[in-house]
Amino acid sequence: MHTRTRVVLATIAALALVGTSTASAGVTAKKKSSALVGTFQVDPAACTTADVSGSYFRMVAAGGTAEAGPFLPNGDSTCTDPTYTGLTAGTDGGLRTGGYQPQPDPPFDGAGNGLADAIIQPVTFFALNFAVSTNATDPQSGDAVSAPKIVASKKGALTGQVEAISVAYGDQQFNQGAPKPDGSATGGTSKLRGTYDKKSGAYTIEWTSQIAGGSFDGFTGVWHFEGTFAKASKKKG
Amino acid sequence: MSEPRERPRRGLLVAAVVVGLSLALAPVVFQMFSRAPGGGDMIDGFRPYMTEAKIGRYQRDLGIIDAAHTQIGRSLLPALSDGLGLDDGQIIARFPSFASFTDDWPAIEADMGGMLRTMRGDIPNYEAVDALPPFALFPWFFVVPGLFIAGLGIAALVASRRGRATRGLLIGLAVMGIGVVAAPAIFQMFTRAPKGADMINDFRPYMTDSKLQSIQGYFVTIAAGEGNLRTAVLPAIPSGSRPEIDRFVGEWPGIFRDFAPMIATMQENIGNYQGVDALPPFDLFPWFFVVPGALVALCAFGARPRHSRRTRPS
Repeated sequence: MHTRTRVVLATIAALALVGTSTASAGVTAKKKSSALVGTFQVDPAACTTADVSGSYFRMVAAGGTAEAGPFLPNGDSTCTDPTYTGLTAGTDGGLRTGGYQPQPDPPFDGAGNGLADAIIQPVTFFALNFAVSTNATDPQSGDAVSAPKIVASKKGALTGQVEAISVAYGDQQFNQGAPKPDGSATGGTSKLRGTYDKKSGAYTIEWTSQIAGGSFDGFTGVWHFEGTFAKASKKKG
Repeated sequence: MSEPRERPRRGLLVAAVVVGLSLALAPVVFQMFSRAPGGGDMIDGFRPYMTEAKIGRYQRDLGIIDAAHTQIGRSLLPALSDGLGLDDGQIIARFPSFASFTDDWPAIEADMGGMLRTMRGDIPNYEAVDALPPFALFPWFFVVPGLFIAGLGIAALVASRRGRATRGLLIGLAVMGIGVVAAPAIFQMFTRAPKGADMINDFRPYMTDSKLQSIQGYFVTIAAGEGNLRTAVLPAIPSGSRPEIDRFVGEWPGIFRDFAPMIATMQENIGNYQGVDALPPFDLFPWFFVVPGALVALCAFGARPRHSRRTRPS
């Protein structure tokens, strides 16, 4: 066999080997993570001491950061530190993945309080209630958005997207998803991250979302959900 | 022997063509195709707020807060200091958001009150601008007559070169020039455009990102102060007759709902405002029609045909 022919065959074999190993690595990677389809049940906040646990919301003033604040003090918070606003589970028990939990129509009462109560109960913030929902069409931007999707790695790290999260407050709509409906995760918006214990189902997820437009433009919502993941039951055909 | 053709002054026709093309290109130079529609969006966006009733409502809202602030100073702070024995430092430590509101309100009232007075004073200016043709059409008011003028000028030049009659084309050119001169008068631009300029000047201090951030901060201060007042301060002191404070607490959600959409409109139109502000001053706009229109009419008049040579009887 000519030397040139040998070189060509060796190159082809090497490329085939690399391709095969890459493909198998991809399969392995897929196996390492799995989508969690069900409800991330929301445990209420425990915030009557300095150590805050459970599910809560904080808002960072425009120009601040989720790490350093400044955080807005909510006079209606029942937490010792009023920059924390406690959340309690809604009628669905928490945040559902693989489907939407849309807001009612109309989304507000006559006073401008948000009414959606499936994910969490409406929360009083600066004298008005905000309500959280997920909708196929983002109410603020009008963009089509995907249903929440959260994936657990084999080691229990959670990643995913909650771009459909929307807050109704004071007759206004604010997207509070991560990434934003246009796919960006810049400024104060950070990707969802969290932890998951497969045995107990205990989880934490966090994301931040910078408000784009409206009266709170530039402010950033910091969301922390904590509780137990309940897998969706399979429907019988 | 045939009568020699009339020949217009070609130099003046070339000048008319140049003026026409300049008119047509002006919107491109001033980026009017993007800025003018943005200005139109801004005018549309502010329409619900630029009324006596709406701004009167905002001023009433500020009045409610101001009256409560006065009552806080007269009866609530004495109740905290005399009744609960708290000094200033202790009030700040125990009711931080309430204390911030109490301290910051005079400056907030001065700034927001000033903005509302400015807006109220600009209602006639706004209405004058709103009565102009739609902003999105503005570039075309330059492009269309500009291209017509250039086209007529070129047609007259070509006709002249080919020895054809140019009288009709020159009349058309003169009519176009006079029409362009008349347009600002027809649209009352001589009165409306300066009012628009006044409004743009008046809004300049408020239509910036940093100013909007300040205004957002005012509402955070008031909202946090009201929450602290309602949930912590009032429950801590003996009940008493405090009608202004009660009114503030009772009406605050509505006040917040009143102001929030206007702040949102301001935020959403900062870019549009800056685009309009980057255009040449509004009060110059009528002259952008009058000067080129008059030049074109004069060129058409001056380019009237002359016989190339006089024929003498033999």
